[in-house]
Amino acid sequence: MMTVLSDRECERYKRQTMLFGEEGQERLKKAHIFVAGAGGLGSPVSIYLAVAGVGTITVVDKDTVDQSNLNRQILHGQADIGKKKVASAEEKLTALNPDIRVTVVDTTIDESNAARLVGGADGIVDAMDNYPTRYLLNDIALEKKIPLFHGAIRGFYGQATTIIPGKTACLRCVFPCAPPKEVFPVIGATPGVIGTIQANEVIRYILGTGDLLANRLLIWDGMCSRTEEIAVARNPRCPACGDEKSKKIPEKKQDNLNERKRR
Amino acid sequence: MTAKIRFFARFRELLGTDIMVDVDGKTSLPDLVKQIAAKNREGYDAIFDEKGAFREFVILMQNGRRIETTEASAVMVADGDEIAVFPPVAGG
Repeated sequence: MMTVLSDRECERYKRQTMLFGEEGQERLKKAHIFVAGAGGLGSPVSIYLAVAGVGTITVVDKDTVDQSNLNRQILHGQADIGKKKVASAEEKLTALNPDIRVTVVDTTIDESNAARLVGGADGIVDAMDNYPTRYLLNDIALEKKIPLFHGAIRGFYGQATTIIPGKTACLRCVFPCAPPKEVFPVIGATPGVIGTIQANEVIRYILGTGDLLANRLLIWDGMCSRTEEIAVARNPRCPACGDEKSKKIPEKKQDNLNERKRR
Repeated sequence: MTAKIRFFARFRELLGTDIMVDVDGKTSLPDLVKQIAAKNREGYDAIFDEKGAFREFVILMQNGRRIETTEASAVMVADGDEIAVFPPVAGG
């Protein structure tokens, strides 16, 4: 792909090339980021990646826009109810920035299609709402040796960390067991905070600048406007990235693995 | 001799945080957390199951170092320790 910036792009990105130059902007343009989910987290993540000029963004989601999504899923509006989330996402992202390529897939991410969907992307953004799919994305990130930008939220609380295969703890090192499934309460500002942090991580990963949330679990407490950190470390016995991969997976966790335990 | 217990997110809503407790060096980590959590039934139930074991998703840290919940009963709380109890969230 040509990475020379057009006049319009130079103008569009003027205020950020002040930070990292046209060279940085070209890096963003060359990058391909896979966003898993077009909901609460996927909305701010994909919006900020789009306006920053990340050249190719793939968004995957299986859902249809519902009235009850609109308190937080800012990619979608009243007029989108009943539309596929990815169709709405493609429309909004392209309208925000016609100088990037947006590809969307209306499907459920599962073991049979995950690796193919991610394809040659440079990084995966975890904007999912469940751990089984998160663990699957974690496996794909480890396999392809590309980063996984994790985020999750509930109510006024959120968490984020950046997983660099071979360097940091993986998602299963940090969260060996999934919290229980539920219809979670949420105020839109929470995925706004966490999704924006994820987008910021992606941008700086592509630019190669600053300190990523590597081996650091950021915790957002929106009840008292506080961010805190927990240091995390690789678990040598981790069933996903551990040395022996000897699958020391407790009984209960088999549920989350579905049929994947024979991989 | 005191230790500090820090709860996060929903645990914090139910139980408060930065709780200073007296320790004698003979109290195990689960016993200490139980002692604090006992003041609020909902808080206790959020952290422990019916058998009094840590729920499997709970993340425990002692002075910034991860403690496996299944191995926590062998860990004693010492003077000056900072114990963090964190519930991961799942939504997106």
